Amino acid sequence: MPDDPVKISSRPLLGLLLRAKTRALWNRSRQAVNDAPLRISTAVVLIATIWMGLYFLFHAIFAQLQRTPLEATVAIPLVFNFFFIVMLTLLTFSNALIAYSALFEKDESAYLLTAPLTPLDVVTLKYLESLVLASWSLVVLGIPMMLAMAELADQRIFYVLFLAFFLAFIPIPGALGLLIAWVAARFVPRGVARDLAIALGVFLTVFVLWGMRTLQLGDSATEQWLMSFYARMSFIESAFLPNNWVATGIDHAIHNNFAEALLYLGVTLANAFFLSWLAVHVVSRYFHKALDRVSAGRGADQYQAGRASGGAAGLLFVYLPLRLRLIAAKDLRTFLRDPLQWSQLAILFGLLFLYLTNMPTLRQQFDALLVWAEIIPFLNLCAISLILATFTCRFVYPLISLEGHNLWLIGLLPMSRTRILRAKLAFAMTVTLTGAITAMALAAFKLQLDWVWTIIHLVVVGAICFGLCGFAVGIGARLPLFEEQKVARIANSLGGTTNLLASLALVAVVLTAIGFAIWRSKIQRGDGVPDTVTLAICAAAVWFSTEAGLCAMRMGAKHFEQIEV
Amino acid sequence: MADNPQDLAIALSGARKCFGTTVAVRELSLEIRRGELFAFLGPNGAGKTTTIKMIVGLLRPNAGEVHVCGHNIASNGLAAKAQIAYVPDQPFLYERLTGREFLRFVAEMYNIPAEQRDQRLALLIRRLDIGEFLDQLTVSYSHGMKQKIVLAASLLHDPTVLVIDEPMVGLDPRTIREVKSLFIEHTRSGKTVFMSTHTLDIAEAVADRIGIIHRGDLITVGTLEELRARAKRERTLEEIFLQLTEESDA
Repeated sequence: MPDDPVKISSRPLLGLLLRAKTRALWNRSRQAVNDAPLRISTAVVLIATIWMGLYFLFHAIFAQLQRTPLEATVAIPLVFNFFFIVMLTLLTFSNALIAYSALFEKDESAYLLTAPLTPLDVVTLKYLESLVLASWSLVVLGIPMMLAMAELADQRIFYVLFLAFFLAFIPIPGALGLLIAWVAARFVPRGVARDLAIALGVFLTVFVLWGMRTLQLGDSATEQWLMSFYARMSFIESAFLPNNWVATGIDHAIHNNFAEALLYLGVTLANAFFLSWLAVHVVSRYFHKALDRVSAGRGADQYQAGRASGGAAGLLFVYLPLRLRLIAAKDLRTFLRDPLQWSQLAILFGLLFLYLTNMPTLRQQFDALLVWAEIIPFLNLCAISLILATFTCRFVYPLISLEGHNLWLIGLLPMSRTRILRAKLAFAMTVTLTGAITAMALAAFKLQLDWVWTIIHLVVVGAICFGLCGFAVGIGARLPLFEEQKVARIANSLGGTTNLLASLALVAVVLTAIGFAIWRSKIQRGDGVPDTVTLAICAAAVWFSTEAGLCAMRMGAKHFEQIEV
Repeated sequence: MADNPQDLAIALSGARKCFGTTVAVRELSLEIRRGELFAFLGPNGAGKTTTIKMIVGLLRPNAGEVHVCGHNIASNGLAAKAQIAYVPDQPFLYERLTGREFLRFVAEMYNIPAEQRDQRLALLIRRLDIGEFLDQLTVSYSHGMKQKIVLAASLLHDPTVLVIDEPMVGLDPRTIREVKSLFIEHTRSGKTVFMSTHTLDIAEAVADRIGIIHRGDLITVGTLEELRARAKRERTLEEIFLQLTEESDA
C-alpha cells in the first residue's frame, strides 16, 4: 500500500499562497518607504499629478461632448468602446507576457510544483498575479476617466457601478492572455518569448497602420470624413466584443437606465467568470506538457542567434580596437538575446518610423497653419530625443551594474576600466545613433527640409545621442547597483532615477535652445535662413550636450577606476 | 533490488526523457529503499538534474514510470509530493519574506501543527546556525545563507523522501558537517535521502549506495565496496568514477 498523503488537498492552500504574497508585498513596501522615502514621495506626487491631469482632461472632453444631445448620444459610447477595445488588446498581450514568464520561466513555479500543490493551485495563483500586474495601467488610465464621467453624470451610484464594470472587465483579457501564453508554450517550442514579442510588434504595426489609414480619409473637418470614420469604427461595436458590453452598460447608467446597466454588468461578469474558469482549467490540465515543451526548446535557438549577432557585431563595431570590439559585441549579443529589451526598442522606433513614413499626409492637413508646418521638424526632434532618453535610461544605464558579477573577469582584463566604459559608450552610441540619425534623415527627407536645417537637425540629434549615452554610462559607473541582475530594477534604482532626471534636463535644455533658434529664424525673422546668431545658438546647444556627456563620462570613469567590488 | 516493493521510497522503471532530439535520460531503472542515503553522481550534463526533476514531478518521462512511496508521480502527484522535499541546485526563496516567514509558510503548506513546527524550527535553527539572520529579508542573504534556509525548509516537515541537488554548495565546513549528520539521522529514522553531487568525498563518506549516470545511461549502482569490486582494484571513489565514466565513453 502506498503511504497516505498528508491531509492537505482539501486545505485552502491558495489562500496561504496569497497571504504569503501579500506579506511579501507589505515587506517590500515598508522597505521601500524606509530606504527611499524621497523616491516614494516623488512617485506618489507624480502619480497624483498624472491622475489629476487625466481627470481634468477627460472632464473637459466629456463636458464638450455633452454640450449637444446628438454628440453625447453618438460620441460618448464610442469613446468608451474605443478605450475598452484598446485596453482589451493591450491587456491581453500584457497578461500573455506576464503569465508566460511567471508560469514557464520563473523559479517560483518550479518550487510550487514540487510542493504539495496541484497545478490548478499554481496556475490560479499565477493568473491572479498577472491580473494584478497587467491591469494597473487600466487603473491609472481608467479611474480618472470614470471619475470624470461620474462627476458629470452627478449620480453617486455611478462610482460603485463603474468600479464594478472595471473589475468585471479585467479578467477577460487576463484569461485570453493566459490561454495565449499556454498555447505559445505548448505548441511553439523555441524562443517563445521572442515570438510573442514579434507577434506583439507585428500586431501593433498593423494596428497603427490601420489607425493612421482611418485618420487619413481626407479633410478632417468635413461631415463625410466623420461619417467614414464612424463607419470604419463600427466593428468595435459588435455585440460579441466585451468592450461593447462595458461601453453599453456605462451608457445605460449615464442615461439612468440602471436595469439595463446591471444586465450588461451581469453579461460581462458571467463571461469573465466563464473565461477565467475555462482558461485556468485548460492550462492547469495540460500544464506539464507545456512545461516539458518549453524545457525542450532551450538552447538550440541561442546558438543560431549567437551566429547572427556575431555577424552583426562584426559589422557594427568594425571601427573599434579589438578589445573594445569584443566588449561591445558581448553587449550586443546580450541585448539581442533578451526579447524584452530589443522588442521595446523595436516598438518605440517602429512607431516612430511609421509616423515618419506617413508624415506627408499629416503635413497636408497642417499646411493651412504655417506655424505648425514649420514646427513639425522640431517636434520630430523632440520625439526622437525623448525616445533616446527612454532607451538610454532603461537599457544603457544598467549595462555597468550588470557587469557586477563579472567584474572578476572584466576588471582583470589587461586594459583600464575607463576603456571598458568607452566600450560601453561605443556600443550605446552605435545602436542609438544608427536609429536616431536614420529617423531624423527620413523625417528631413519627407518634409523636404532645406539642407542647412537638415544638417543642423542631424548634428543636434547626434549631440543629444552622445550626451544621453554619456550620462547613462557615466552615471551608471558612478551610481551602480552591482547586487541586482534585473534590468528593470536597476533602471528604477536611485542611480537610474538620477540618470532619468539628468537626461530629461539635458533634453529640455538642448531642445529649448534649438526651439528658440528655429522660432527666431523661421517665425520671428520669417526667411528661414539661419543667421550667425541662430547658428551660434545651435552650436552652443551641441557643445553643451557633448560637454555634459563628457563630464558624466569623466566623473563615472574616475569612480569606476577606484571602485572595489 | 528491494525484496518488498513497499520498502521502496523511489522507483524509476524504464524512465526516458528526451528534449527534442536529445535523449537526456535513457530507460533508467533504479530503486531506492527506505532508510537509504543514495548518492547520484555523474559528469556535467549527464542527466542527474533531469532525473531529479522526474522524481519530484517537474518533468514527465516520455516513457516509463516514476513512483515515490508507492505513488505514481504523474497520475497521483499530490500524494507523492506530500512525501517529498526537494532542494534544487539554485535555492529558491521569496525575496521579500524573512527567513522565519518563509519557514512558517512552508510549515503551514505541509500542515504542521504549531507546537511541532516550533520544536522543529528551534532544532533546525540551532543545528544549521540560522538564528542570526532568520528575521532579515531573504533578498539580503548570501548563497550559503539561502542554502541553509532551504535545507531547513526541506527538513521542517520531516519528509519521507528528501531529494537534493548539490546540497553542500556555498556551505561552510561546520555546516557541511552538520548537514551530513542531519542526513544520516534522517535515514536512520527510516527516511530516504537522494543526493546528487559532484563532491565525491562526501558521497564516499555518507552514502549507503552510489549510482553513476553518464550521457543519460546509468552505468553502475551499488555500495562503495561493490563499485570497487567492479573497478577490480582498491580505489577511491574519485578514481572509480573516472575509470567507469572513461570506460563508458570508450
